[in-house]
Amino acid sequence: MADVKVKKESTEPVDIENRIKELCSQFPHGITDQVIQNDMPHVEPQQRAMAINRLLSVGQLDLLRNANGLLYRLKDTQSTSKVKGSDNQEKLVYQIIEDAGNKGIWSRDIRFKSNLPLTEINKILKNLESKKLIKAVKSVAASKKKVYMLYNLQPDRSVTGGAWYSDQDFESEFVEVLNQQCFKFLQSKAEVARDSKQSPMVQRNSSFATSHEVWKYISELGISKVDLSMEDIETILNTLIFDGKVEMTIIAAKEGTVGSVDGQMKLYRGVNPIIPPTGLVKTPCGLCPVFDDCHEGGEISPSNCIYMSEWLDF
Amino acid sequence: MTTQEVRLCGLLLQEHFGGVVEKVGTHLIRSGALTLRAIVQETNMSLDLVKKSLCVLVQHGMCVFGAGRRGPGWPVEYCVCVERVLYMLRYPRYIYTAKSLYGDTGELIVEEILQRGQMTMSCAVKTVADRLTQNMEDGCSMDYSEVVSAFSNLVETHFLQRCPLVAEQGSAPPPTTSTLETAPPPPAITCPPTPESNPDCYRLPQINLRGRGKRRRSSEDGEDQRGGKKPKLDNGQPVGDEDIYWQVNFARFHLHFRDQGIISAVACKLDQTSSEIVRTMLRMSEVTTQPSAAHTQPLSANEIFRALPPSYSIGRPILDQYLTLLVDDPMEFVGKSGDSGGGMYVVNLHRALANLARATLESVVQERFGSRSARIFRLLLRKRHLEQKQVEDFAMIPAKEAKDMLYTLLSENLVQLQEIPKTPDHAPSRTFYLYTVTQLPTARMLLQRCYKTVSNLIERRLFETKENKRHLEKSQRIEAILASLQTTGAEPTQLQEVEEMITAPERQQLEALRNHINKLDSSENQVDESIFLLESYIKSAGTTR
Repeated sequence: MADVKVKKESTEPVDIENRIKELCSQFPHGITDQVIQNDMPHVEPQQRAMAINRLLSVGQLDLLRNANGLLYRLKDTQSTSKVKGSDNQEKLVYQIIEDAGNKGIWSRDIRFKSNLPLTEINKILKNLESKKLIKAVKSVAASKKKVYMLYNLQPDRSVTGGAWYSDQDFESEFVEVLNQQCFKFLQSKAEVARDSKQSPMVQRNSSFATSHEVWKYISELGISKVDLSMEDIETILNTLIFDGKVEMTIIAAKEGTVGSVDGQMKLYRGVNPIIPPTGLVKTPCGLCPVFDDCHEGGEISPSNCIYMSEWLDF
Repeated sequence: MTTQEVRLCGLLLQEHFGGVVEKVGTHLIRSGALTLRAIVQETNMSLDLVKKSLCVLVQHGMCVFGAGRRGPGWPVEYCVCVERVLYMLRYPRYIYTAKSLYGDTGELIVEEILQRGQMTMSCAVKTVADRLTQNMEDGCSMDYSEVVSAFSNLVETHFLQRCPLVAEQGSAPPPTTSTLETAPPPPAITCPPTPESNPDCYRLPQINLRGRGKRRRSSEDGEDQRGGKKPKLDNGQPVGDEDIYWQVNFARFHLHFRDQGIISAVACKLDQTSSEIVRTMLRMSEVTTQPSAAHTQPLSANEIFRALPPSYSIGRPILDQYLTLLVDDPMEFVGKSGDSGGGMYVVNLHRALANLARATLESVVQERFGSRSARIFRLLLRKRHLEQKQVEDFAMIPAKEAKDMLYTLLSENLVQLQEIPKTPDHAPSRTFYLYTVTQLPTARMLLQRCYKTVSNLIERRLFETKENKRHLEKSQRIEAILASLQTTGAEPTQLQEVEEMITAPERQQLEALRNHINKLDSSENQVDESIFLLESYIKSAGTTR
């Protein structure tokens, strides 16, 4: 018994530390004191405490509290090296920002979480920014709201607004160009189908294009500098539906077919409007901005209407 | 009855029948049913003039009369059918349709009857034949029999119908007073059309009329046709149809317009062949389908195949494919109602009208507010209720512009806003604001816009003519002088001299005026097409509910 004890005594504190680190790396979510105890039943609690304390003070271990007691977790070595040379407050802010992930966090939320005064936080944020540890990203949801995230992260779609935004501005021209190109593609496809002189069924079916085909066409055109996903193209195609220029059908597709999602495929085709512009809008009155104020004998009347005169002389 | 309708009716009455009738007519429209005495008192016109105006209106079927609302013993009351008055706007279209279906003769027959309201067959045939003969070269003349056959064609296809008989007790106006003993009196006519049951009295006679029209053809028409022709040849003998007056069956024309609209929509959306198939289906069911039915009687693919005109060489399998395509089309012009007989198909008349009306609304928004607003409008039509943010996302329009467009549409009443509060206090922060488009009320609103537009166009036309009255009169005078000089065989130099009395700028002005009037006229007809579509949609929506 004494022998064993002597042997235990001889176990270096470094060994214990290494063992604890090993354990922590095995359980990245953190380990409780109990785990360490079970792993090294022979080590005195005092020694254990000493080793843990040392690791904590060096900053290799994190002490966390959860529902069933204290948790030890290995600290990200990278981050430790990054925040090296900064004080605790800076570390804290960095950690909060890190936790926010690629969604970013607003400076006011940092204040709530860290309980630091705003001026202090601003100073720290500026500091971290200059070290290129974090960056500020403007959110599309609120143009004046800046969110902070780690420097190397790609901002989330909800922050940037996806492919349709550049610098928080909605790229309506880009959308319009894509809208026109998609329509052109579908229209030419419909025309080829119409000229093919095949049976009506075949004609109709060959005028359909899957969203995958449209996506491929657009990607090959190279209009877009950003990578568009198939969902992006589908949103564009949806605007065409709302323009009344395109129809969509969903068909069941075999699993694994190109362009099928959840066993279904969306087919689009260009269609013609069912009526030419209606008669009402061919007259000036149909488009008149002051139509409701127009009365015979009034200041604005059909007799002295300038729109009407211009239209008649056209 | 809206202000716009009254205004338009007034203008139309003024144009066709002059100021006096217009005064009586608009007064009647404004106040509903009135007795003769009341009209005289309220309009401050002489009894004679009012009587004559009422005669004109009754003659054209624009005015109905019946026992007063207090019972049969009380004075007769008069009431104007606004709907009928507004049909005057469509006269050119009726005439044009008759021309395209039955040639010049049909055109003239319909034109004559429209102008006179109602006339006997013999009279119509005579007038039309005379007019045709006048336009022909010397030596040629129009045979009555040709006109008669055109007339009977029009009757056979129900474009013309007999006027309803006037009950003997009613104080009948001169032209329609008929105590017809030869034809059996139809039962429905025995109850005189009363002002109270105005819409019914308009509808009931039509059903009866069609029936009577057929009966007449079977029993009397043969006689009549000969009768219409013969007495003319041996001058002056009684024609034999003095008591039978004919009028234009507007409802039949409207059905024709509706079918044409559906056919052309199919042609636009799909292709020519599909539209021919739909045309065939509509033609086959013309007789069997009620005018207000939501869809035609089911037709089997076999029947359709047999009825297709042989000039369209459509094989049976191809026809089946086309029918499947028509059924699959999201516009749903054609529906499938069963599988028997190679598939039973119907034309969804009401749905087609609703689709056409929707396209009309969309086109109005598109032209007036641009294609992006139209995108929002269509989006709302499709998705029913959307929040502003959703509209922006779906339509891919930047928030600022989308807001602007939505508010503009909202202020024009094309889009409605529905508030759904989460809490009873309606606090804006806790309320959903949902935008929506309701098709039927929007269509009604646009219809009123159409009425006002037509009124504006007519007023502008009157204004243009008034402005150039002097020039017009001068040119007419000079033309008269020229004509008389030509008949007397004047020197060419003399003719030229007279011609030069109209100076170049005057000539230019007259030319411009003619252009203006033509443009306004054609626009009136175009707007009337919109009116027709919206009216039929509103009517169909009313019956389906």
